[in-house]
Amino acid sequence: MKTQRNVYSVGQVNTYIKNMFTQDFLLQRIYVRGEVSNCKYHPSGHIYFSLKDETGTMPCVMFSGSRKGLRFQMENGQSVTVLGSISVYERDGRYQLYASEIIREGAGLLYERFEQLKEELSEMGMFDPSYKKPIPAFVKTLGIVTASTGAAIRDIMNISRRRNPFVQLVLYPALVQGEGAADSIAKGIEVLDRYGVDVIIVGRGGGSMEDLWAFNEEKVARAIFACETPVISAVGHETDTTISDFVADLRAPTPSAAAELAVADLGSILQSLRGFEERLDRLMEHRLQEKREKLETFSWKLERLSPRQQLLEKQQRLADLEELFRKQMEGKLQEERQRLALLIERLSGASPLKKLNQGYAYVAGEDGKRLTKAGSARIGERLTLYFADGRLSARVEEKEQEER
Amino acid sequence: MAEQKEQTLEEIFKEMEGLLEALESREISLEDSFEKYKEGMELLKAAGEKIDTVEKAMLVLNDQGEADEF
Repeated sequence: MKTQRNVYSVGQVNTYIKNMFTQDFLLQRIYVRGEVSNCKYHPSGHIYFSLKDETGTMPCVMFSGSRKGLRFQMENGQSVTVLGSISVYERDGRYQLYASEIIREGAGLLYERFEQLKEELSEMGMFDPSYKKPIPAFVKTLGIVTASTGAAIRDIMNISRRRNPFVQLVLYPALVQGEGAADSIAKGIEVLDRYGVDVIIVGRGGGSMEDLWAFNEEKVARAIFACETPVISAVGHETDTTISDFVADLRAPTPSAAAELAVADLGSILQSLRGFEERLDRLMEHRLQEKREKLETFSWKLERLSPRQQLLEKQQRLADLEELFRKQMEGKLQEERQRLALLIERLSGASPLKKLNQGYAYVAGEDGKRLTKAGSARIGERLTLYFADGRLSARVEEKEQEER
Repeated sequence: MAEQKEQTLEEIFKEMEGLLEALESREISLEDSFEKYKEGMELLKAAGEKIDTVEKAMLVLNDQGEADEF
């Protein structure tokens, strides 16, 4: 009988093994200690390295997405503890450690001490916001506790000079790492506090946790806490946090940032002064303009109400009436003249002189009165006959009366 | 307003804001406006004088607090 042989593809086997790894609880979250070798920082941000000890080696990778789990520059030969999961890389048919956090040997201990001191000082209330002094906006003298050589003092000097070259910098050159660093830093804070400056920056450039350790010492924390002058802590990079940062009145992510926080930009101070002046002038001009306009309104109102104005108005009214009256009078006169002319016309039509022209005469008696009846005249009476062109004298010779 | 104590630039800026706010009010009398304007101008002058423009060399302190030019 032929034995049954099962034949599998590479992929099937790799997948099978990978499943074995993923189902193993221990391998999903494991701390592995070893020495770094073959360490390569890939431009993509991934880090490839191996962990080895005297018995063997294990390939490791830290993907760029996990880089926040690495707080120092990893180099070959360092002793580290890596937290991660172990899985199979099917393409190469090998397993590797996928690192999520890498801790330097010894750092674990330091970290514990850090946490412990932080807890203690926090309980003592040394981080309490109520103790934080405000940082003055315009300092004249700036104290600095840091190494006299190094990036930190250079950065602070450059930024301070650029923002305001007239700020007095006072440096206490301190030992910032190694034996006696904490004493030196604490001393510097005391000396500057006594010397009298507006703000003190305490800090240093970046480094490993051991390098920054002095800023985690209780002595430094107490010196900062006791300092009457406001203190800005500026230790290492953005991601480094020290006890000093918690105690200080203000935490700056870097020494450069501390200088920016401490030293006000002269250009913007002058600009705001100019701005103030312009606003002041403009507002005053506004107020004046407003009052002027108000005054004008009042004076116009007053003038309208003044007796002189009233007099003028009445005079005007009188003149107007006079004019009206005159016009009406003239009209009336014109009318009368017209009527007169008409009357004259009529009158002239009715004039007795016209009748005289037509063969009639006007007869007056001796007494000069009009004689209208024959009976009124006496025989022998002298009558006067008026004609259009003259008169005649006549004597009554005969009288013949008709009864009417 | 008598100066009890030398004002810092911060205090001057703060007072300046207050003055400007008062001047912005439409109820302010002309006399008060002039008063505030005068005060403002004096404050600005004081602020200008506060900004000392002598370039400083860095001082380096020793443990006794004695200063040396860097």
